[in-house]
Amino acid sequence: MLDSVTQLPDAAVFSPLDDGSGRVEVVVRRLGEAIALGLVTDQLPAELELAAQLNVSTVTLRAALAALRERGLVETRRGRGGGTFVVGPADPSTARLRTRLRELSSSELREIGDYRCAIAGTAARLAALRASADNVARLRHVVGRLEAATSTGERRRADGRFHIEVAAAAQSVRLTRAEIDIQGEVGELLWLPYGEAVDPALVVSSHREVIEAISARDAERARTLTEEHIDKGIERLMELHWRLVAGR
Amino acid sequence: MNELADRARSIIEEVFASLEEIRESVVTCYRSSAGFCTADLAGVRPEIFRCLGRAPETLAGAGMIVAPGVLADRPRWLEWWQAPDPTFLDVDLDPGSLDFYDYTAAEWFAVPERTRHRHIVGPYVDYGGTDTYMLTLTAPVEDGPRFLGVVGADVRAARFEALLLAELTACPTEVALVNAEGRVVVANSPRHPAGSLLHEAGERLPGLPWALVSARQAAGASANP
Repeated sequence: MLDSVTQLPDAAVFSPLDDGSGRVEVVVRRLGEAIALGLVTDQLPAELELAAQLNVSTVTLRAALAALRERGLVETRRGRGGGTFVVGPADPSTARLRTRLRELSSSELREIGDYRCAIAGTAARLAALRASADNVARLRHVVGRLEAATSTGERRRADGRFHIEVAAAAQSVRLTRAEIDIQGEVGELLWLPYGEAVDPALVVSSHREVIEAISARDAERARTLTEEHIDKGIERLMELHWRLVAGR
Repeated sequence: MNELADRARSIIEEVFASLEEIRESVVTCYRSSAGFCTADLAGVRPEIFRCLGRAPETLAGAGMIVAPGVLADRPRWLEWWQAPDPTFLDVDLDPGSLDFYDYTAAEWFAVPERTRHRHIVGPYVDYGGTDTYMLTLTAPVEDGPRFLGVVGADVRAARFEALLLAELTACPTEVALVNAEGRVVVANSPRHPAGSLLHEAGERLPGLPWALVSARQAAGASANP
């Protein structure tokens, strides 16, 4: 993976930049274009190395990387095997989704959250009353898939499937259809990468809590946990929406 | 109450009798073809249509679901037709899709595959397939030891209830047919609609995977919505 970066022809992308003002913007533009053109895929070189290649300070580079993160072009992963990774536009839908999110009004976003809460919250409450052992096993299986997923696409699919399975466990065709519609409409937006990527581990543990509540037939807890989870997701979308509107 | 169980049993037995004819036709097609492929399943269609035509009041759909790897030209396949026209059921068999219809994990497929016996699933929300609250009856199809898939038929939960209305209303007390996981299949009780759970053992019914819970027993159960 690293090889694909270091073996770039003439390493043109990482050749030194001139001195001058607006260096952050220049770094952002050059790296942004390189990513858009597919010249850089996967992982960027380590910060020190990259800053040296571009002939900018690490402070400038970090500011540029932060801007690229916000555009959803790269994400930063911590820990062993961590670093800065290109996430877009290998997924060509990212630009389209960002445009859509920017063009949604805040009241439309709020409506999406209200509607999701009504559907998923009720589905979770009823699932706690009506789920069979088989339903619960399916929910666990889907969350297992979410945990094992390695790409945003897989995560989005498993996450969507989780919500649909909860509605099916509620024994409600109407709630299930509504949930399928919701996932089709906003599922992609919810997993849209920006800034720090969505922490899948947090989503997994949140879903597991819901499953435990359903399994324990604790209807109110299942509903409350689900509503909290959805509120958090919508809050995140609102935040990104305003950043996109402000052009930051 | 005996009338209710008897009528339910006779509806179910009629469906399984139809499925037996589809099963025989699948095995015949399978044995007579060199490389079994989707085109060969055309030979099974007349039997599927006959099955749907025979019980237009009961069946929402019927067909054959092929085990992965059996057909030469497709990894997975549903030869499934929905009443009344009949219409071919086109489901998403792409594993990468959000709507992917992973039927091998479905109880109506996995249980007959494992037990090699007929099975009744539901009522359950059949999403990705027909988007209906459904009862599904399936039976395994085998050629010797080789599992070829299942033949099956769908009965809408609402339709099944409608077929039993006379018997349900004739019961002087509250009564429910409950499946193995404790879910109400049909009931005449406003407190226990189809799909709700009723944690009562009830009386096991011969020839059906269900139990009959009557008022005296149901009275002690929690009023689950």
